[in-house]
Parts: sequence; structure tokens; C-alpha cells
Amino acid sequence: MTTRTLHPLAEAYLDRLERAADHLPRGRRKELVADIETHLLEALRPNASEAEVRNVLDRLGDPDEIAQADQPRPTPASTATDGTEWATITLLLIGGFFAGIGWLLGVFLLWRSRVWTVRDKLIGTLLWPGGVAVSFVFLSSYLISGAEVCGPGECTDDGFDLAAIPIIAALLVPVGTAVYLARRAKHSSSS
Amino acid sequence: MAPVISQLRRGVLEFCVLALLRDGERYAFELVRTLSDVEGMVTSEGTLYPLLARLRREGLVETTWRESPSGPPRRYYTLTARGEDVLGAFSVEWERFSRSVDGLLATGTTA
Repeated sequence: MTTRTLHPLAEAYLDRLERAADHLPRGRRKELVADIETHLLEALRPNASEAEVRNVLDRLGDPDEIAQADQPRPTPASTATDGTEWATITLLLIGGFFAGIGWLLGVFLLWRSRVWTVRDKLIGTLLWPGGVAVSFVFLSSYLISGAEVCGPGECTDDGFDLAAIPIIAALLVPVGTAVYLARRAKHSSSS
Repeated sequence: MAPVISQLRRGVLEFCVLALLRDGERYAFELVRTLSDVEGMVTSEGTLYPLLARLRREGLVETTWRESPSGPPRRYYTLTARGEDVLGAFSVEWERFSRSVDGLLATGTTA
């Protein structure tokens, strides 16, 4: 298409534009780059000096800005918390009550999200699988078995204190995980 | 302040492009440089090309390629009938709007 070659700086600029516009549909990207190339060929006489080229490029502006003017790039900054994150955290926390499916959906959303790092996702999945629902299963079985072992008058204050530890842990760990994920989501969307 | 002005500019720019085509066709580079030379109108010339492409997609302008006496072929822009309608409607609105704003800024009351 070009009958003469552009200054290397101008060629580099077109390459940058091409990359900056890689989120556009192919036809639109090609057209945008061709339009800017035509502009450069009009603006620059053959054998233009480096200063002239730089002036023309400065007037054109930042390739990213041009590409964004065509269509904003769907950034991973759609990491912006949009409600999906809250749904994810809620499902992980209490979704287990819905026949376990809710929690699995939560895990699916968690791993699909761009907000959390792999480390966050591992914590969210593995630290307390099943969420509060599992805590309830765990606690009720614990209390039932505890009631069998603990005859009338056998449960002393000491025994009760020990029994409280797993109960507290069973509630704190899933809730703590949810709080952690919420904070990480907030951190990620503000950075 | 600055973000307001740049939003205002962005909103009005496409009508300025249409206005430049009211009296006849112009090629892209000529359009871009003319707008760019207007005080405070364009901060980066390159962003006008996506705007031109959008006006074309929306059917407000149409283009034809023609050979240039020097350099590469040129894409000439002309206003479509629809573009003329849109420009006309905007001109009326703008006239009223700018008069109101000017009045308020000058006197602090609604005239």
C-alpha cells in the first residue's frame, strides 16, 4: 500500500499503535492503522528530519489514547468490583446450604474472576471447603457426639473450654476467609 | 475544571467535524489539521480518526478514495443527508444552550 517508506520512528509508532489497538475487531484495527499511516505520509515529506517526525508524532498523540478513543480496552480493570465478587464470596460462605451446588458455583466464579490471584483462589477454595454449611455439619455431629460422651454433670468448665475451640474455629475460618477475599477484591480494584 | 472542559470538547467535536463538511468535501488530513489548528479544540490529532470512522459507521458522513497529486491516495469525506439533519438539529440546540449559559455566566440570573 505504501509507495515510500516512512522514517523508522514513524514505523515504530505504527507498530505501537497496532499493538495498542489489539483489542479492536481486526477490520477496525487495520483501518485505524491505515488512516494514521496515510496521515503520516501526508504530514511528512520524504527524508523528513527526526525533529520533524517527532513533532508530527507528538501532535498525533499517544497510540494508547488513539486506540482507546476508538473503543476502550476491556481492561483487567474490569477487575473493578461489580457485584460478581460479592456473589462469589457469598456463595463460598453460605452456598453450601443449597445442596452444595451453591458452593461449587462460588468456586467456579472465584477461579474465573480476574480480581483474585491464584494464591487468593487457593485460600478461598481449600482453607475451608464448603463454607459455613460444612461448619454446621461439623458442629452438629460434634455436639451430638459430645452429648453422648458427656454424661450429666460430667462436663466440667475445663471440658467446655476445650470444646469451644473447634466451634470457634469452625465459624471463624470460613468467615475469616470471606473477609480476606473481600479485602483482596477491594485492594485489587483500587490498584 | 479540566475534565469538564475535555468532556464538553469531546461531546461537541463530532458536530464540529460535520460543520467543517457543510460547504463541501475535505480529505482526512485536511480535516484533522484544520480542527487541530482551532484553539483548544483537539489535544491529540490521532483521536480524530476513530471519531471519523464512527461518523462513517453511523452514516453521517461518507467517503471516497481519490488519487492525490502528491503522496498516497486520499480519503475524501462528505456529509450525508442524515449528517446534515443531525448538524442542523445540533446547531439549533447549541445556539439556545450557549445563549443560556452565556447569560447565566454574565449576569448570574436567568434572563
